[in-house]
Amino acid sequence: MRPPAEAIGTLALIVGAIAVAIFIGVEGALVYAVWRYRTSRVSTPARFDRNTRLELAWTAAPALTLAVVFVLMLGTLRDIGAATDAQLRIRATGHQWWWEFDYSGIVTANEMHIPIDTAIDIELASVDVNHSFWVPELGGKTDMIPGQINHLRLLTRRPGVYLGQCAEFCGVEHAWMRIRVVAETKEDFDRWLATQGSPATASGDGARVFQSNTCVNCHAIRGTSARGEAGPDLTHVGGRATIAAGVLPSDAASIRAWLVDPQRYKPGAFMPRVPLSDADLDALASYLGSLR
Amino acid sequence: MSAVPLWVARPAGASAAGWLRTVDHKEIGVLYIGMGVALFALGGIESLVMRAQLATPNARLVDPELYDQLFTVHGVTMMLLAVVPLLVGFANYLVPLMIGAPDVAYPRLNALSFWLSLVGAIVVYFSWIAGGAPDAGWFSYPPLAERAFAPGPGVDYYILGLAVNGAGTIIGAINLAVTILLMRAPGLRISRLPLFVWMTLVTSFLILGAYPALSGGLVMLFVDRQLGGHFFDPTAGGQPLLWQHVFWFFGHPEVYILVLPAMGMVSEVIPVFSGKPIFGYRFVAASSVAIGFLSFSVWAHHMFAVGLNEFETLLFSVTSMLIAIPTGVKIFNWTATMIGGRIRLLTPMLFAIGFIAMFVIGGLTGVSLAVVPLDLQTTDTYYVVGHLHYVLFGGTMLGVFAGAYYWFPKMTGRLLSERLGRWHFWTAFVGLNLTFLPMHWLGVQGMARRMWTYAADTGWGPWNFVETAGAFVLAVSMAIFALNVVRSLRGGAIAGDDPWDAFTLEWTTTSPPPPENFRTLPAVTSRRPLWDRKHPEMRDAS
Repeated sequence: MRPPAEAIGTLALIVGAIAVAIFIGVEGALVYAVWRYRTSRVSTPARFDRNTRLELAWTAAPALTLAVVFVLMLGTLRDIGAATDAQLRIRATGHQWWWEFDYSGIVTANEMHIPIDTAIDIELASVDVNHSFWVPELGGKTDMIPGQINHLRLLTRRPGVYLGQCAEFCGVEHAWMRIRVVAETKEDFDRWLATQGSPATASGDGARVFQSNTCVNCHAIRGTSARGEAGPDLTHVGGRATIAAGVLPSDAASIRAWLVDPQRYKPGAFMPRVPLSDADLDALASYLGSLR
Repeated sequence: MSAVPLWVARPAGASAAGWLRTVDHKEIGVLYIGMGVALFALGGIESLVMRAQLATPNARLVDPELYDQLFTVHGVTMMLLAVVPLLVGFANYLVPLMIGAPDVAYPRLNALSFWLSLVGAIVVYFSWIAGGAPDAGWFSYPPLAERAFAPGPGVDYYILGLAVNGAGTIIGAINLAVTILLMRAPGLRISRLPLFVWMTLVTSFLILGAYPALSGGLVMLFVDRQLGGHFFDPTAGGQPLLWQHVFWFFGHPEVYILVLPAMGMVSEVIPVFSGKPIFGYRFVAASSVAIGFLSFSVWAHHMFAVGLNEFETLLFSVTSMLIAIPTGVKIFNWTATMIGGRIRLLTPMLFAIGFIAMFVIGGLTGVSLAVVPLDLQTTDTYYVVGHLHYVLFGGTMLGVFAGAYYWFPKMTGRLLSERLGRWHFWTAFVGLNLTFLPMHWLGVQGMARRMWTYAADTGWGPWNFVETAGAFVLAVSMAIFALNVVRSLRGGAIAGDDPWDAFTLEWTTTSPPPPENFRTLPAVTSRRPLWDRKHPEMRDAS
């Protein structure tokens, strides 16, 4: 089976070439007509106004072209269709305005890791409004619609980082609902998944600040008593490249800046500003950054 | 002749009260056009603010709440409140003149439909000062448009405004259809109708089929929001996708409602400025009917990403491809009309040629959206924004400008300036390509629609800046047109009855026409009665 993005890319090249040929033909005829039949070159216009054979020809020619395009499309559709051969299932759930990824019970957020050369079935769900999961270099988009599960087949051969974006308008922070997909070798992926499955180990002052404030109402950190579900799971947040669905990098300084005023970076997001002392902020930021 | 020409020659003269109580189709046409121009300006200002916000990454000119309101109201305005009245206004003014009738079939109903349309638009805009404009998109998808996620009054104003506006549009469509079917001059058979009238007739039936679906959807959304209903609420057994089906059952024919009349306009302009009859009249007319029927069978191509089953996917892909065929027929026929002609490149013709050139681009990208795998990459991205603006600005608006330059002399008795007209055309041409062409590759690179900002690391900044620059070029272009209109109204060259050496009945009466439209009607024995009168030795065969 071909990677969906590759199959779509090939089809795009073929359809694009046909479209460019038609474009050149039609615009060329138009420019020719304007140039050839300008007032200074014609004294009396012709009077013909019909040619049934010609009309039928230019009704049939587009129909035939489209038939060819349709047949080519059928082949591509087979390549991008739902995975019946899936070796890995990931449940992706859209939230206003972040992503939850569930690997059969191991939950993470906003950064999805996938093994290369593996057919993956992404189950798409939403807990609130419509979203759409889209990583252009991996394939087409599929909507997340509350009340139903959609499926998207993913397969890539190249390791790397692939950026995506929620593609269905979902409210004020639709723009800052980015996806980061890390495609890696099977071994790296297995190691990553094992890490994600383990509980958090870091502790210290920051852990105390986290546990004794409203953070726990919305966020979970496995291995602690924090079990909130409204916001992203933070068990290994420091191991992700970004926070807040792609708004800021995940270093301690950025985490601190985010905690001081989330609305400055993602106006409209549900993350409130939690009043903390400078010392608590420092401790909390370094604690979250150390959750790898 | 007074310095400011009367829009229509009326014995009592124009007065505010006269405009309020008029039932004359020409005056109502002018009112519609005025409404369309005003709302087009508002929708344009909204788009300029959005383009300014998107000119650079991470900009903070507007906050996301305001941005969402801007793109929602821009969409509602351009799709429903501005361009429909513009087109209906031209139809109102021109259809009776082109078929040799003294007025529309139901003059009082005509006034009612205009005032309903206007009140609906005012209700939508009133939301800006009544607690916030609608912010769930012009497509207003639930659950986002449900009260749980859109608690403000904006969506309610959207519902009420569009329901009232839609009622006006539906009534207007009945009026135009009846007028065309029953009030034609003796000898003006259906097979001799001017093509603008033909396409207005098809458009009227499209409105009658599509707008009630929107009205029904709006009622359901209203029940959900205000009466505790659950039509679209998945937490109580409702189905969010039901709205999408209902909305696009309206929404796709709406695109043709906006395009067909403009196609009708260029179908009048191109033959006159080529000095030739239209090539393949029957095919041009029949292809409009084909587009009309097909337009009701393509709606789910807006929904390929929602998880349709294989049968639905293939069905809507085929129907969406099919609609390209009658559209292509029109393009070929317009070009064939020019071939062998004597082309006078005056402003109306420049815009008509521009319409064809730009509409071809929108048409080709449209076909790519029927190809499901490509659509899955491009839907809900800037690629679609680029596509639809090539259809509706490159297409419809250039067509409307062709019609405006062509019929302005009939409506006012004055010609528009050719020099300003050429400036208007070329700035519009450059501006629209700068604005809308880069959208195609930005969309393919990953820029989704309706984003209030974007990160710098996306690399989308430079092309967005180009688009914004293009949008301001377009604004200058529109200002040139406004200047041209104002200057011509004050002292443009006198047009006379038939300034373009045209073919159809409206050019046989005075400019502007008298209240009763015609003092005498030429006998109609072909599609070009005025040509026949001017060239009795080479009359068209019937």
